[in-house]
Amino acid sequence: MIAVLARPPIARLLRSGRGRTVVLAWSALAVAFAVTARSSGSLHAADHALLGAFAPLVLPLLTYVLAGAVIGARSLSLSAAPMVALGARPTQATAATMSVAIAACALSSGLLAIVVDVVAHASADPPLGRDAVACAYAGGLGGGVYASWFALGASFGKRGVGRPVLLVLDWVLGAGDGPTALVTPRAHIRNLLGGSAPLQLSERTSALALVVLALACVTLAIRRVRAK
Amino acid sequence: MITLEGVAARRSPLALSNISVTWGPGVHALLGASADGGPLLLALIAGAIRPRVGRVRVLYGAATDAPVRPQVAFVPLEPALPGAMRVAEVFQIAAAIRGERKPDVADRLGALGLATLAGRAVGTLSREEARAVAVAEAITSMRVRVLLIEEPLLSLDARAVNRLPELLRERSRAGWTIVIATASVRDAAELADDCVLLRGGVVVGQSSCVDLFARSSTSARLRIVTSDSRALAAALAREERVDAVARRDTSVTVRGRDLLELARAAARAIVASGVSLTELRVEPPSLEEARVAVGGMAAQIAEEQP
Repeated sequence: MIAVLARPPIARLLRSGRGRTVVLAWSALAVAFAVTARSSGSLHAADHALLGAFAPLVLPLLTYVLAGAVIGARSLSLSAAPMVALGARPTQATAATMSVAIAACALSSGLLAIVVDVVAHASADPPLGRDAVACAYAGGLGGGVYASWFALGASFGKRGVGRPVLLVLDWVLGAGDGPTALVTPRAHIRNLLGGSAPLQLSERTSALALVVLALACVTLAIRRVRAK
Repeated sequence: MITLEGVAARRSPLALSNISVTWGPGVHALLGASADGGPLLLALIAGAIRPRVGRVRVLYGAATDAPVRPQVAFVPLEPALPGAMRVAEVFQIAAAIRGERKPDVADRLGALGLATLAGRAVGTLSREEARAVAVAEAITSMRVRVLLIEEPLLSLDARAVNRLPELLRERSRAGWTIVIATASVRDAAELADDCVLLRGGVVVGQSSCVDLFARSSTSARLRIVTSDSRALAAALAREERVDAVARRDTSVTVRGRDLLELARAAARAIVASGVSLTELRVEPPSLEEARVAVGGMAAQIAEEQP
C-alpha cells in the first residue's frame, strides 16, 4: 500500500521542473565550493568544502527544496489529502509522503557529499575511498534527518509554514556547540563530518542522536496529521 | 447504512448540533445553503472531521475504520486530485487503494462522457473537469457503497451533468447510499428520494423531495421565453388565475396558486397573443419556501396527532 501511496509524491518530485532546477543549482554551488577549496591549495580542501559550505549551507537548503517538492509546497495533511479522498488512511498517506522525502533527500545528499569530497580531496585529507564512504554516510544520514525535520515543519499551518521556521531554527540553534544545538540536525552532521561536536559528543552518539531526531520528527508529524 | 446519533461538530465558522438521521440505500438530499452545514455534515460522514459529541456509523463501523474507508467516496465542491499525475494514473491509484482490479479507465470515464480526459494531466484540468473526474472515479468504483457529493450538478463538466442523474439512480437501485448536499430545491427534487432540511446547523425538517417540491409551491411559478414577451405579458395579465406577471427581456414569469391552472392560463395567453413559444419552465420553489412548507407539514402532523 505504501508503494502505491508513494506514487503521487514521487510524481511531484520528478515532474516538478522548478524543484529540479533549484536542486541542480544547489548541487552546482556545492561543486563550485569544492573546486574553489581545491584550487586554493589547502591541504585539507575536502574538510573545508564539506564543513564550510556543504554542511551549513548546501545540505539544509537542498533538502529544504527537495522536501518541499515532495510535499508540494503545502501542509503535510493537504499533501496527503488527495490520497485520503481516494480511500487511503491519512497516516499511511503521510508516511508514504515522508518516506519519499527521506529517501530522496538521503540519496541526493549522500551522492552530493561524495562528489564534493572527490572534487575537493587534497593530500592531507584521509584516504579517498574511506573518506568518500564516511561522507556518503554523513550526507545520507543528514539528508534523511533534514527531510523528516522539514516534514514535521510542514505539518504546521495550512501552507506548511513550519518548514521555513525549522530551517531558521536549525540555522540559529545549530551554529553553536551548546545544549540547544543538541536538538538540531546541523550540529550533529557537523560532528559526523569532523567538525566541532555539540557538548563534546562522540560521532557515534551524534549519529544516534540524528536517528532519534528523525524518528521523533516522523512520529510527531504523523500524530499531528492523525489528530486533525 | 449511515446513522448519525445526536451528532455535533464544528469547523469555524460552521457548526452542527444534535443531528440524528438514518439513511439506507437510495439518494438522499441535505437541503440548505453551504452555511447551514450540509458540506460539513458530508465531511463528518466521510470521516474528514470528528464529531464533538454523538456517534457516526457508516456501513458497519466508523468511516475511518480500515475496511469501511475504501467503500466511502466524498466529492466536495473543490475535489483534491493528485496534482502531478495523469487522470488514468489517478484511477489506477484509486483502484489499488480501494482494492479493485486494474481499471479500464476509458470505460469508466466514458460512463460520464469523459473518455477523452484519460490522458490529460490533472494540473491541466479545469475545475469542472476535475470535479467530473472525481465524480466518475467514485461513481464507477466497484467497491464504493456510500457516495457523498456536494452540489452534484454545480461546477461539473457539461458532459457529466447530462449523465449523472441516471447514474445516481442506477447506483441507488444497486444498493448504494448516496447523500447529496445542495442549496437547490430543483436539484434535490430531480436527484433525491428524500430531503433533510438544514438551517444554521440544525435539522428543521425531513420529507420526500417530491412532496416538498409540491407543498413548497404555495405560489406556483412559470417562466416563459417567447418571441414577443410584451404581447404575452399583456395577455397573461388578463387571465383570472394569474396573480402576478413580471417581464424581463424575452421572458415572462407568471405566478399563481395552482400550477395546473397557471399552465392552462399560459396556454390560453400564448394562443390569444399569437406569440411563438421558445421555452416553458416550472420555476422551483426557493429554499425559504421549502423551509416554510416543511414547517407547515410538521404543524399539520402535530395537529393530526391525538
